[in-house]
Amino acid sequence: MTNEPSKSQHIEAPADDNRVLSGLLEIGRGLKTVLSHVGREAVTLEYPEVLPDLSVRFHGRLCLLTKSDGTDLCIGCKACARVCPCDDLIQIEMHRDGDKKPVIDQFTIDMGRCIFCGNCTEVCPVDCIKMLPDFELADYSREALVLDKYDLTLKGEDADEWRRTHGLAPSVT
Amino acid sequence: MTTASPAPELSLRDKPGFSDLQGVTVEHGLNTQDMVVNIGPQHPSTHGVLRLVTTINGEIVKDMEPVIGYLHRSKEKMAEGRSYFQYQPTIDRVEYLSSFYDHYVYVTAIEALADLKVPKRVEYIRMICMELNRITSHLLWFGTFLLDLGATSPFFYAFREREAIFKLFEDITGARMMYNYFRFGGVNADAPPGWLDDVRKVINELPFRFDEYEAIANKNPIVMDRCIGVGVTSYQDLLDYGVTGPSMRACGVAQDMRKTNPYSCYNEVEFDVPTATEGDVYARYKVRMAEMRESIRIVHQLLDNMPGGDSAELRKLEKEHAKVAEEIAAAKKRVTVAKKNEEAPNAADVAKMAEKAPELPFDYRTTGQKVNLMVFKPPAGEAFSMVESPRGMLGCYLVSDGTPKAYRVKWRGASFSNLTILPSMMIGNLYPDLMAIFGSLDIILPEVDR
Repeated sequence: MTNEPSKSQHIEAPADDNRVLSGLLEIGRGLKTVLSHVGREAVTLEYPEVLPDLSVRFHGRLCLLTKSDGTDLCIGCKACARVCPCDDLIQIEMHRDGDKKPVIDQFTIDMGRCIFCGNCTEVCPVDCIKMLPDFELADYSREALVLDKYDLTLKGEDADEWRRTHGLAPSVT
Repeated sequence: MTTASPAPELSLRDKPGFSDLQGVTVEHGLNTQDMVVNIGPQHPSTHGVLRLVTTINGEIVKDMEPVIGYLHRSKEKMAEGRSYFQYQPTIDRVEYLSSFYDHYVYVTAIEALADLKVPKRVEYIRMICMELNRITSHLLWFGTFLLDLGATSPFFYAFREREAIFKLFEDITGARMMYNYFRFGGVNADAPPGWLDDVRKVINELPFRFDEYEAIANKNPIVMDRCIGVGVTSYQDLLDYGVTGPSMRACGVAQDMRKTNPYSCYNEVEFDVPTATEGDVYARYKVRMAEMRESIRIVHQLLDNMPGGDSAELRKLEKEHAKVAEEIAAAKKRVTVAKKNEEAPNAADVAKMAEKAPELPFDYRTTGQKVNLMVFKPPAGEAFSMVESPRGMLGCYLVSDGTPKAYRVKWRGASFSNLTILPSMMIGNLYPDLMAIFGSLDIILPEVDR
């Protein structure tokens, strides 16, 4: 396939006095590089006071967008639950009312087990389940990480704002 | 019937790395006893959960046995219980330093199975992501390798540059490490407007940073003393153990999948395969540093030749096309439903107009062919695809039986083979060289255990 390499070359160590001198020189060069960083602008953030500038596509907390008037957008198709790689992470219970319109009784997501892959957001046919640039999700108990429909649902105007920033038609009726 | 051959006499003088000790008769000197040292499973320098059962005599390693499997998460079996799309996010969690590569092999294997055509723009975006991912992976290796040798500052510098590239990944995929971005026949979403310029800004800066790293480490007497002539491998050993990647190229073998069997659009870009002939730790260091510069060269070419250019221009073009399509649709409607006071346009003219309607070239699209991810079923068959990941050859063998779930997925990770060569490199070597040699192999344990 390829040429066989020549036998490994033994690298001659320089004579001792030479080595000391060149060693000191090289350490000096390294230190100069390190010291040149002193005057540069800091790259770290003072986190709790300064929040990072996150991208609009950030994979953060899941949420349910609503119609502009604040009513449910979800149609209960369970596509998100089907593509979720975690078992039973998204649980949906729904029924149909007199006009055969879907009514979502329950929509629970266990954020403690969510791996933030974004599969659910991609298959949603009505652009309802989406992700927010929110990463501060720590809580004191596992139960508190299980978000129900009330926790997940955004207000009408927030949902409009989300759609505006992500290039979708802002008002949905 | 097997015949047991006597274990070869361990001749310390024949072993690499012994040159420094010439003249010292270790075997007949101190009458020391063998001692077993357990390195790991929790050890800061094993970069994961690896246990090395090492037998040492004085400072010389007599025997070494890597114990693996602590991070086994049944990656391959998981594929059999999940649909193709459902399985995809779990790939990220295995080779988490360069997961674009894992996604790429998985996605290309499926594309080969289902015969999906991929637009050029998609391939270019994928290549940019992969080459940047190679840089982030090598940067982390550079930082941790020098940290193992005792240098602290380069670690922070490498992470600073890595962070800049992660910001680019966050902009395009939404995640910094677990991307889940490539899809069957395309990518999840087009690059955001201005992303290409951001990439250009970052990679213009990087060569100067690499110069700084090299000023610190290249000729540092400590680094040179601990790396030159240490952990030398022979060509035959590499072949026997199936070692690939930079460790192989440091032995003078110009084996790079990007050159030898060009996948994606690698035949359209110009780049060199950096090699070194010494085959020691220092050669591996040099090869990786040179590879980062080559990756930058590749990304520059990709940015210049990106089909469709920046996505802002592409969106404009799309809007114009949509406008024309709307006009045609309106004209067609008028042909069929002419109002009282309006002259109906000539049907033939409208048909001509529709024929001439501009269409977005196939190569400009971000998905070749829309597939329904929920019920995606590639036809029955098998496919194998492989790429040159930062650690070596990465392959994915996929068998489909025509159902929405894969019948079998087999991964070939470079780390596993690269780890198996470690005992043969270490036996007869100095125990303090272990971290330099192990670090130079650039192994990631979740990929070993899968």
